[in-house]
Amino acid sequence: MRNSLIGLLVFIALAVTPLFVGQYWTGQLTTYLVYGLLAISLSLVWGYGGILCFGQAMFFGIGGYIMAVFTKGMIYPDLTSSYLGLLAAMAGAAMFALALGYFLFAGRGISGAYLAIITLAIALVLERLMNNWYALGGYNGLLNVPPLKLIAFGYSYELWDRLPTFYIILGIVAVVYFGVSFLVKTPYGLLLTAIRTHPDRLSSLGYSVLNLRLSVFSLSAAIAGLAGALFATLDGFVSPTLIGFTLSTEALIWVAIGGKEMLLAAFLGAIFTRTAESWLSEIFGDYWILILGVVFMISVVLLPRGLLATPIEMLTGKRKRK
Amino acid sequence: MSLLQLSDLTKNFDGLRAVDGFSLDIPDGSLNALVGPNGCGKSTLFNLITGVLKPDAGQVIFRGREITGWPPHRIARLGIGRKFQVPAIFEEMTVRENLTVAAKRSGNRVSIDHILEQIRLADRWDLSGGELAHGQKQWLEIGLLLAQAPSLILLDEPTAGMTGAETRATADLIRTINQDQGITVLVIEHDMGFIEYLSCPLHVMSKGKILKSGSFAEIRNDAEVKALYFGNTAVPADA
Repeated sequence: MRNSLIGLLVFIALAVTPLFVGQYWTGQLTTYLVYGLLAISLSLVWGYGGILCFGQAMFFGIGGYIMAVFTKGMIYPDLTSSYLGLLAAMAGAAMFALALGYFLFAGRGISGAYLAIITLAIALVLERLMNNWYALGGYNGLLNVPPLKLIAFGYSYELWDRLPTFYIILGIVAVVYFGVSFLVKTPYGLLLTAIRTHPDRLSSLGYSVLNLRLSVFSLSAAIAGLAGALFATLDGFVSPTLIGFTLSTEALIWVAIGGKEMLLAAFLGAIFTRTAESWLSEIFGDYWILILGVVFMISVVLLPRGLLATPIEMLTGKRKRK
Repeated sequence: MSLLQLSDLTKNFDGLRAVDGFSLDIPDGSLNALVGPNGCGKSTLFNLITGVLKPDAGQVIFRGREITGWPPHRIARLGIGRKFQVPAIFEEMTVRENLTVAAKRSGNRVSIDHILEQIRLADRWDLSGGELAHGQKQWLEIGLLLAQAPSLILLDEPTAGMTGAETRATADLIRTINQDQGITVLVIEHDMGFIEYLSCPLHVMSKGKILKSGSFAEIRNDAEVKALYFGNTAVPADA
């Protein structure tokens, strides 16, 4: 309950932030919210499901490309609905995760470091594939992806302005955050804990570990796909870098710094790290990455539950049982 | 009537024959014990029954239906519960949450409160599994099996690491499960005092197959079994 209250306060704080910052930072924060959504997806699959996916950006990129292809009318000129694009992006990323997950988890299944390496390798292969897929822009990607277009009650509105875009994205992120927070508190959440801590025991109780892993992997991919689709509409551009190594690694760092076993901490980890990157890179240039590295090491060694998860747990008075 | 029939089960690991043409019938409602020296194939046998390993040859038949090589979750759904050698519980969850997960799969056909009483953890339901003492973890794992509403449970060394009092309580629990609840039990154990207290049919396993079957008294006095455990201690006449 106190966790939900803190979550609510965080979203209220985010909602009033544009009142105190300019247009530029409102735009930046909108992008960071989308990265936060990617972090939530990784926290769900890694922190709760115990599946260390080192290539989470592949689902983000797939969502972005599907949204771009859909809303640019590349599939069918008259079918450019943002709503359909978002649904297709989520479904496409989830379907890809389902197929990939079956390959990874069937039989004895792959786990731990092996899974991390394989997912990273697949993300790299996909990035290379997109670099050479000229119908989808190849190395240059796809330009002029339209912004979100809201259609309701016969009215149509394209989100060009930063402030309404911010609030629409914030609303979507809040719905996903509170939805996933609710989900992990249901019996399904207990099963995720069970699958993370003792899959063999769970299997011998009659649960299909494969199906459970596929479900959380696909759900997480759908959320990452949604994040990618929103990113495409914000940036107006998708390129192979959205799919590959760099963003996958960055997402992992955000979630590890924030705290992988707490959705809110992972979400804030993405926002804080990206904000810090903006400030520090202005002061230190490329050397900011060294500071990030030191922070990452401190987090892993001294606060393995996360720099943000630890104080949030102190606030809520709840430490995870071991 | 046989609940579980094992016929000619064989399993090799890189040339080592861990289970060698093992055959056994387990009658419905019975309590049986399986003993044997370390490495004789007892736990491998459980792995073959529960689908963790696929046999190289032979059959596992449960309620007249062949289940050889089925995946573990499908076998568990038939009503076969298995306790592992090392306590396999969800240590991050509370005792009650552990049982809730186990009961949910079976459609909540059992009372969790009743199981908590049975496994002597009614006053510890809100502790996490990791906070329990070793013996309590063993009991919680047995509780997980009961929450499955099984018809057969396989217990792999349920008293390992327990005190004398805990061992006696575990033996009483197993007898209650078997006699009052009608659940068929096959237990692997090294503690002969425990086996004697259970007073059930006993099967001695050696080199992947059954060496002897009989009552505790019959087995205790068997020369082959003595030789298996203590070696041939006969002193040559000319010594």
